[in-house]
Amino acid sequence: MIGIFGAGVVGSRVAESLSGDPQIQISVYDSSQVVAQRLARRLHETNGLIQATSRTELFGAKVVVLAGSSPHAPVAKELLERDVSVVSTSDDIADCLNLLALSELANKKKATLVIGAASSPGMSGLLVRNISKSFDSIDEVHIALHGTGGPACARQHHRALSGQSIGWHDGEWLRRPAGSGRELCWFPEPLGAYDCYRGELPDPLLIKRAFPELSRVTARVSATRRDRVFARMPMLIPPRAEGGMGGLRVEVRGTKNGERVVDVVGVAERVGQVAGVVSGCVARSISVGEIAQSGAFVLGESALPNEIILGQVLARGVQAHSFVRA
Amino acid sequence: MKLLRRALLALSVASAVAGVLRFKGKGVGAIKQGGWRKITDQK
Repeated sequence: MIGIFGAGVVGSRVAESLSGDPQIQISVYDSSQVVAQRLARRLHETNGLIQATSRTELFGAKVVVLAGSSPHAPVAKELLERDVSVVSTSDDIADCLNLLALSELANKKKATLVIGAASSPGMSGLLVRNISKSFDSIDEVHIALHGTGGPACARQHHRALSGQSIGWHDGEWLRRPAGSGRELCWFPEPLGAYDCYRGELPDPLLIKRAFPELSRVTARVSATRRDRVFARMPMLIPPRAEGGMGGLRVEVRGTKNGERVVDVVGVAERVGQVAGVVSGCVARSISVGEIAQSGAFVLGESALPNEIILGQVLARGVQAHSFVRA
Repeated sequence: MKLLRRALLALSVASAVAGVLRFKGKGVGAIKQGGWRKITDQK
C-alpha cells in the first residue's frame, strides 16, 4: 500500500500518477477529510483500490509520500519509527536538513527515506544524473526554477526570496542574500526567458550530496520586481489555487574528450505536476522493491535507480528537453 | 507656477523617454541560435 499525506495540488498529482496502475493500493490522508474523500472518489474509476484514510491508518502503508506543506521532518520521524518508508517533497532548507538527520533512524528501522522528491529538488537531480552520463566528468551544476505548484509552494517561493541563499563554491558554502544575483535564464518553450535570482533553496545542498565531485552548485528562482520588493513582507494577497506553466532549467558544466562543455536540459510543465509525478514514481519504485536500500537518499544519488525513475517520469507525460546549439 | 510648469515638463519628458524605450527597445526575443529538443524515454 502507498500512502499519500496531503491531498492538495501535489498530493492529487501523486494519486493521479499512481492510479494508472490498478494493482497499487492507494490511501489518501488530508487534514480535511472531505478533500481526501473527494480525491478518492474522483480517481475511483481508474483505480478501484484508492481510498481516503485516517492518519493512523497510514502507519500500515509500505511507503508514504509527504505531499503537504512543510515541515515534513516530524511526520517522517513518526512514520520511520513505525518502519514505514517515506518520500518527502519538501523544498525548505531547514526541513531538508532535519530530514537528512533522520538517516540513522531510517537505517535502524530498515526503511527508505527519499528527500526532496519534487520538481526542484527532485527532477533536477534526475536530470543532472542523466546528463552527466554524456560527460567524462562534471564540476558545475546551476539550477533555475520558474513557477510554483499549490498555495504552500507559492508561500515557500515567497519565503525563499527573503532569506539567505546557499551555494557551493570551490570547497565552501557561500551565503548570499536571496533576491540578489540576477541572471537571465532560458527555459524550454513556451516559457522563454525569465530573470532568476538567488533564493533560499535546498537544491545546492541535495545536489552536492548526490554529486560530491562538484566544485560549484547554485540554484536560482524566477521572480518579478514585485516579488522581490514584497518578499520581506507577509504575503498580503493569498496565492492562487495552482500556479500556471512552470519550468526547470539545469545547466551542467564539465569536460568531454578533454574539452570544456556546457549542456542545458529543461522541463516546461506545471511545477505541481512534475513534483507529483516524480514523487509518485519514487514511491512506486520503493513499493515494488526497485529501491530496497535503507537510509536517507536524494534523487540523483548513484545508489538509486535514477534511470528507471526518469524513464517512468517521462513515460507519464513530463517532457524534458535538451538545448541544442545551431 | 514656474516650478509646477517645470515639474510637468520634466514628467512629460521622462514619460516620453520611458515610452520610447518600452516600445522601441530591443528587449528579449526568441532564441536566435539553437533550440530545444525533446528528450525521449531511453528505455
